[in-house]
Amino acid sequence: MKNLVNLNVNPCKMCMPMGAVSALSGIKSCMTILHGSQGCATYIRRHMATHYNEPVDIASSSLTEHGTIFGGEANLIKGLENLIDLYNPEVIGVCTTCLAETIGEDISAIVKKFYEQNPDNDVKIINVASPGYGGTQNEGWFAALRAVVEQVEPDVTQNGKVSIITPQISPADIRWLKGFLSEMGIDCILLPDISDNLDGVTEKHYNRLKTGGTPLADVAKMAGAMLTIELSEYTNADNSPAEYLHRAYSVPFVKLPLPVGVRGVDSLIEALENIGGIVTENIIKERGRYLDAIVDSHKYCAEARAAVFGDPDFVASVTRLCCENGVLPVVIATASVSESLKEALAFETEACRDFCFAGEIPIVDDSDFAEIEQLCVSMGANLLIGSSDARRISHKLAVPLIRCAFPIHDYVGGQRVRILGFEGSLNLLDQTANAMLSTTETSFRGELYGKYCVHPTKPADKTAAHPCFGEHACHNARVHLPVAPKCNIQCNYCLRNFDCMNESRPGVSSRILTPHEAFERYIKLKETLPNLTVAGIAGPGDALANFEQTFETLRLIRDYDPDVTFCIATNGLMLPQYVCDLKELGVSHVTVTVNAVDPSIGAKIYKHIQYMGKTYTGLEGASILLASQLAGIKMLADAGIVVKVNCVTLKGVNDEHIFEVTQTAANLGAFMTNIMPHIPVKGSAFEYLDRMTNKEIVALRGKCGANIKQMTHCRQCRSDAAGTLDNDISLGLREIVPPAAVKTDYSRFAVATKSGAIVDTHFGQAQEFYIYDSDGEQVSFVETRKVSKYCNSAACEDKEDRWESVIRAVADCAAVLALRTGMMPEKRLKENGIDVITTYECVENAVLMATKERGKKYVIS
Amino acid sequence: MIDREKLLDKYSAKVYKNRKDHIIQLEETDEARSIAANTRAIPGVMTARGCCYAGCKGVVVGPLKDVCVITHGPVGCGFYSWGTRRNKAKPDEHTDKNFVPYCFSTDMQESDIVFGGEKKLEKAIDEAMELFDPKCIMICSTCPIGLIGDDVQAVARRAEEKYGIKAIGFSCEGYKGVSQSGGHHIANNGVMRFIIGTGDTQPKTKFSVNILGEYNIGGDGWEEERILKRCGIEVLNLFTGDASCESLKSAHLAHLNLLMCHRSINYIAEMMKTKYGIDWLKVNFIGVGATCKSLREIAKYFNNSELTMRVEEVIADETAAVYDDMEYYKSKLTGKTAGIFSGGSRSHHYQVLLEDLGMKTVIAGYEFAHRDDYEGRVIIPQIKEDADNKNIESITVAPDERFYREVYTEEQIAALKAGEQGIGLNSYDGMIPEMGAGDVVVDDYNHFETDELIRLVKPDIFLSGIKDKYSIQKAGVSSRQIHSYDYSGPYAGFNGAVNFGRDVTMALYTNVWGLVTPPWKHEPMLVGSLGGGE
Repeated sequence: MKNLVNLNVNPCKMCMPMGAVSALSGIKSCMTILHGSQGCATYIRRHMATHYNEPVDIASSSLTEHGTIFGGEANLIKGLENLIDLYNPEVIGVCTTCLAETIGEDISAIVKKFYEQNPDNDVKIINVASPGYGGTQNEGWFAALRAVVEQVEPDVTQNGKVSIITPQISPADIRWLKGFLSEMGIDCILLPDISDNLDGVTEKHYNRLKTGGTPLADVAKMAGAMLTIELSEYTNADNSPAEYLHRAYSVPFVKLPLPVGVRGVDSLIEALENIGGIVTENIIKERGRYLDAIVDSHKYCAEARAAVFGDPDFVASVTRLCCENGVLPVVIATASVSESLKEALAFETEACRDFCFAGEIPIVDDSDFAEIEQLCVSMGANLLIGSSDARRISHKLAVPLIRCAFPIHDYVGGQRVRILGFEGSLNLLDQTANAMLSTTETSFRGELYGKYCVHPTKPADKTAAHPCFGEHACHNARVHLPVAPKCNIQCNYCLRNFDCMNESRPGVSSRILTPHEAFERYIKLKETLPNLTVAGIAGPGDALANFEQTFETLRLIRDYDPDVTFCIATNGLMLPQYVCDLKELGVSHVTVTVNAVDPSIGAKIYKHIQYMGKTYTGLEGASILLASQLAGIKMLADAGIVVKVNCVTLKGVNDEHIFEVTQTAANLGAFMTNIMPHIPVKGSAFEYLDRMTNKEIVALRGKCGANIKQMTHCRQCRSDAAGTLDNDISLGLREIVPPAAVKTDYSRFAVATKSGAIVDTHFGQAQEFYIYDSDGEQVSFVETRKVSKYCNSAACEDKEDRWESVIRAVADCAAVLALRTGMMPEKRLKENGIDVITTYECVENAVLMATKERGKKYVIS
Repeated sequence: MIDREKLLDKYSAKVYKNRKDHIIQLEETDEARSIAANTRAIPGVMTARGCCYAGCKGVVVGPLKDVCVITHGPVGCGFYSWGTRRNKAKPDEHTDKNFVPYCFSTDMQESDIVFGGEKKLEKAIDEAMELFDPKCIMICSTCPIGLIGDDVQAVARRAEEKYGIKAIGFSCEGYKGVSQSGGHHIANNGVMRFIIGTGDTQPKTKFSVNILGEYNIGGDGWEEERILKRCGIEVLNLFTGDASCESLKSAHLAHLNLLMCHRSINYIAEMMKTKYGIDWLKVNFIGVGATCKSLREIAKYFNNSELTMRVEEVIADETAAVYDDMEYYKSKLTGKTAGIFSGGSRSHHYQVLLEDLGMKTVIAGYEFAHRDDYEGRVIIPQIKEDADNKNIESITVAPDERFYREVYTEEQIAALKAGEQGIGLNSYDGMIPEMGAGDVVVDDYNHFETDELIRLVKPDIFLSGIKDKYSIQKAGVSSRQIHSYDYSGPYAGFNGAVNFGRDVTMALYTNVWGLVTPPWKHEPMLVGSLGGGE
């Protein structure tokens, strides 16, 4: 999973000095000096102050380049002296940094020299080796505690006390622990005690040297205690204070997990009871209240899929808490190097995932937030538990974050976070349940609305305003943004050189736009077309085969224009994967091209499909496509998205089958179907297939109308179409393309067509002409030219003007191709040197034939 | 004088000897206004200063949004400089590259220290290229790098050859110099040497500027840009808040450099003047009065009647829009006093804004300023170089054959600067001239001095950073963070002034302070009656 081994991207850890100074701030009358350059102290003070909202005074020996060459002895001694002058501490912790360790400072020798130079000074100096590269703050924390117990003069007199050593927990948790131990009647020494020093009070006089913390005299007594309880399972012989006390002074010890969750707290109670602690009525009640509460909230907690990250002890105890309460921990990560964490939690999570029918749960160490983010995505985490550094992930993935570990930089209250004990655990569980409830609260209305309320009413609204879906919405403009070049299926009627014909007129190809360019085009259009209500992505390939581009384009537009209606066109292969995203993006209309609902017919239409990195052909490919289409349409309909199903009718292939297609579409919840004639494209597999006549199509639509609403006004527009259906202004939008090498041998034709595919319009009825050039081999589309209708039935007063307009529009053409022409117009055209060809033919072929038939006659030199 | 003496009183003889020259209390006359600055901090006194790496990575190059800045070293340094400065950035259009929210570190372990980290760094760059495909990579060194002998410049050169990108290595090890200031200088050198002058995107207008030393904290730079745009002035670059390496490449084509933070970026301003002939103007967009003054100076520089007219229109419009708010806050704040401790520029800038609000700054100090930031650039020839300064490379540049162009001749510049209405072109007078008798100026302030000054002077509000904030508040004085604005801002320009007025008013008028002493402390502890009286 982890793909970066040398580059840490967004660290989930800090360095050893951070942990060392944090631990030492729990020693009474102790000041700390970092031996190294002053940035370490400054950065650490800054970070601790932000978390604890307290003054954090950490001195620095302020080593400069001079010190790196001649050693830092003078600086450190001067630093110690000044620190004593200004703060008069009883204890000073000297912690090293990368710099001191790299230049090989001998701290013991320097300290010895300091005592020699200051014989009257009785400050106790504790030195901690804490190079920044030596580990995380967790290792620094225990290195400091270990140094404290090792370097304090021991008092081995048996005192019957219990020593308790904690990993880094909040001041509030320490405060709770003290109260709890006292309630159980345990005479204890708590190491360290940061409860007052890092969560201070406002008093009349501010005391620079803080007054709380574990006195060194108490630390000395740890050597004579009856038991050490180390609330950490991840210390080792080298850094465990408990193991040291055992080895040096034979103090028995036990390592327990943090008292989090029933089992965590119970294990501490049990250990304390064994040494004479009293389980009070109050504790029993608290336990009962805790159980009562988790029964009450387990339903909500059980919806959580949590990513837990941080120090090993925190991660382990929170993971157990999760497992106890039905929260499925789906990502477990620590930045420390800790193989044992994996072992410890594998068993724990196994039971939980069996219960939740979940797969493998990743437990990773030496991790960073880049990896945690990846895992959150792949595991579908819906909750983050840890420090505030995951706020970026939280923001990016829109997943709530419970901030309950150091450091918390964007919220207040880091010092008051409570996770220990029954109440602390409950605090965390309540936050978990409430995070889930909040997610539900903010989404369920929308979901229900989408499910039960939108379908009958909303499509009417939105659809009525959609120029393609509502017949009476032709006044509304739409723009198709050609951002999706790739296609993941090969249809036999399609030639890849051109735009997909599912939605677009064949024979033309659009220049691909980047999402940002598309966005700019939208803004530009919106300025000139106030009636622009719809933005669509219809290729030139498949919108969902280019999901990144589609997503980004729609996201940009949505941010700019919240009222926009989105539609996309797709073959449906990737629909099931993306329906949720489409819904979230606010796509309200989707066109799915379904040419067959029987794989054996589909196999004739689709040459191959590409799915999940593999190519499938024949029956197999058609089956996969069909399954995706059917599931996708159902999901869209369920999500309240209006679905139009396009059917390309192929004579002799699926024309008999279209009825079934429309029936299936209706059953799945589609809103309408659009039965389109197949337009043969030269070079495609179905090049020679017979065309359906208009009449046949109309008849078919009539028949299928019994199943589902039919679209009758399709203009098979381009994938970069813009404007209203009847006034495509897209050509004006395209960047000026430098003219191709000038061809001398070509003829120009004006075609009267409504569909743009077939010469299907009466000359006098044409509102626009499609201008094509051809050299007898190739046919290329030039532009459309608008004219006033010549024959406007009754009110034909300005006939002469209209004539002028028509003649002007076609003046540079050799001939006009139309379905029919009146006598007069033919005469007038011929007077202007323009031929008239009447035909009913596919545009491309008609133009080609005209060129060949008329030979060189039309060649413009 | 009393305050200063009392403050120094606590120090041992050795420390006293050092600190006495860094703390001055101004007198009526112009005498005794010289201060010691930019010298080594004293160990153990809790200086507020950071390190060289912080100045280079944390301040100057960190905010470059299209640059993948890799911290070469143990993980802490990268972590601690990750997203802490609130320098806002929006990704450039036509690119999804915005690395501002990221932290990249080579996370060196003990074995890397022993065996060298160059290989790891190279592999880290490979990984960064594969995953993030940046056009520019910068490598910032931490303490161990120089000591173990990793050659980050050589690694950068190899990365350039291998990937055809721009890669720059910075030897900004934490221990170099005496504060962040050395890091600023190192970063300035790199940006000047490798970036500025390599692009050719021409400005769209004839009034184009760069704002140098604007880090866009809380959106300050955007407010400035908004105002300048209204005036018809084109902002090419904010150095380095919301800046990109791509756009900095053509910074040399600007018509004028505006300088916000003199301390951190004056090197580039000076070098661009020498190399490209671009004049620089010290501006201050903090405060209504200061913003108006700066706008008028810019107009005067461009000497275009239409522009001048537009500037006056904008000033009239903007000041009218904030007038009521500013008057309200002024009514709440007049007569209050403030202390400001900041990095190297803000203590000067904010005095002008506080003045707008009727407040007086009585304590001002800098972490890492040089003498010229206090006393003005005239002092520069008198500043003695010491060993620490010499460790920071100072590069010299020569006029560029292709791009050098002078807008004004020496005489014309002299004329622009002359007289009452003269503008401070290519010069800076420093903070001290703004201040009055009795005011205390502290260089390289530390925690102890902050505490003591608050006790002695008792200002109504103290503007400083997060490290001081809580001890200031524990001493019963309001505090606002002047580095990060406590999640507020912008504070610059006209709208920013209102934000600031609101934040300071909120701080001073919170009813918390009134609740500190409990009622039972006012009442007699025991209530009884005298015996015998009936």
